[in-house]
Amino acid sequence: MAELILVFATNADAMIATKALKDAGVAAKMIPKPAGVDSTANLCLTIDGSSENDAASVLNVAGIAFGGVAR
Amino acid sequence: MKLSLRTRLLGAVVAAVVLIFLCSLIAARTVLTHDLYDLARTEVTSEASAFSGYVASRKEQVELLVAQEAASGPLRASLARRDKAALENELSASANNASLSFLTVVDGSGKVVARAHTTTGGTLASDALVQSALSGEALGTVWHVSPQFLSSEGLSLQVGGQGGGLAIAAATPISDAQGRTIGALYGGVLLNHAYDLVDEATRAIGGAAALLQGDAIVSSSIDRPDGTRFVDAQVPAADDVLRTGRTFVGSDTEGGTDYYASITPITDVQGRAIGAAWYGLPLSQITSIIGHTTQALVLWLVLAVIVVLALAIPFVQGLSNTLARNSTRIRETAKELGIVIVGSEVSGDQVAAAKSAVQRSGELLAKAAAGDAVSERIGELQKLNHELESDVIVVETLTHEMSARMDDAVKRVAELNEVAAGLNELVTGESA
Repeated sequence: MAELILVFATNADAMIATKALKDAGVAAKMIPKPAGVDSTANLCLTIDGSSENDAASVLNVAGIAFGGVAR
Repeated sequence: MKLSLRTRLLGAVVAAVVLIFLCSLIAARTVLTHDLYDLARTEVTSEASAFSGYVASRKEQVELLVAQEAASGPLRASLARRDKAALENELSASANNASLSFLTVVDGSGKVVARAHTTTGGTLASDALVQSALSGEALGTVWHVSPQFLSSEGLSLQVGGQGGGLAIAAATPISDAQGRTIGALYGGVLLNHAYDLVDEATRAIGGAAALLQGDAIVSSSIDRPDGTRFVDAQVPAADDVLRTGRTFVGSDTEGGTDYYASITPITDVQGRAIGAAWYGLPLSQITSIIGHTTQALVLWLVLAVIVVLALAIPFVQGLSNTLARNSTRIRETAKELGIVIVGSEVSGDQVAAAKSAVQRSGELLAKAAAGDAVSERIGELQKLNHELESDVIVVETLTHEMSARMDDAVKRVAELNEVAAGLNELVTGESA
């Protein structure tokens, strides 16, 4: 399945999301913001498309708002 | 339910004030009640003595009136002549002038010669006062008079059908010109349903007064709730007084009113307790003082709580605001430090990923150098290089981010020290 890009408002949110997903066992990789993605943060996360629901649940529980999902 | 520090502090202050005042209120009420009852006991004892003095004074008055009448020349002359009509006229006039209920002349054998208010005959030879007078000794006393005597004197209706009556009576010998006892004059005031004495005493000393024949009230200034006079009722507390001869002082309810009362036995010349003098102060005089004092204390309590709250609220508000400000700074700092810690961990992971990519790159280069599918390895190396480039950008971004946050963290740690010093000073009063 294709990778998804999770976009956050700040780099700090991206860092915290990385840690939360790692602790929850959801594979995520931090990447520089792709050229076509609109975000105020310089960093994004990529996750496997099949993990979208798990990632959303983890971030919701952790109280981290993400600005959007780029496919 | 979680209460805020402000609510808890104000609650503690109010609770302390209320507790202190409740203790004071209970102590004040207890001491006041004790002292007032002591005072009431003293006053009742004193006023009861005064009331007994009124009874004694009336007895002396009756003795004097009877003695004066017995010494009057016309009376002695009329008795010597056995002029019944003249005696009756003189006795009637004297009794009316002196407000005596009865005034009777007996001859030397105790036989009735004339009465002030009736023409009935009979004998008083068995009466101890008359016997004493006929033997030459004048006597006065509070005296139990028999139903037969009351009937002869026309006083049965005043008594109201009870077994005899209670009177202040005196008997004095009547002598002729040679000094020989030729008879006796027997006079007195019937106390049953006669209220002059109790009303006079009450007007002078206050409270309420009553005279008891046995344990029954025969005259009193006690008012019932409907305003009528309270008489012809038993006083249970008087039983012990009559039996033991000892004065009772304590609470007593008569005519629907609670009194602090004294009951003093009345004894006749033969030493028999034939009745009692009751004197009481309404307990409402005491309870109203206690109630008024309690009301005043409660009012002061409410006032004190309001003043304390007015003083405490700004103080507690300031304290709460200080603590809330410091709490906010601590939370913000903790959050920032948490981000720094997470960032450090994420940066470490990112560096580890880059390191892994470099190692894989080295392995691919070694394979390419060995001539193992060179063109395929170059393609993999290009892909890996792209990934590595991405990782390096991320690491660089994180490094910048963490650098800025570390600077901020240093400032915030310094702030935490200030907050800690401030809290320490707030709690202990000591400057760091």
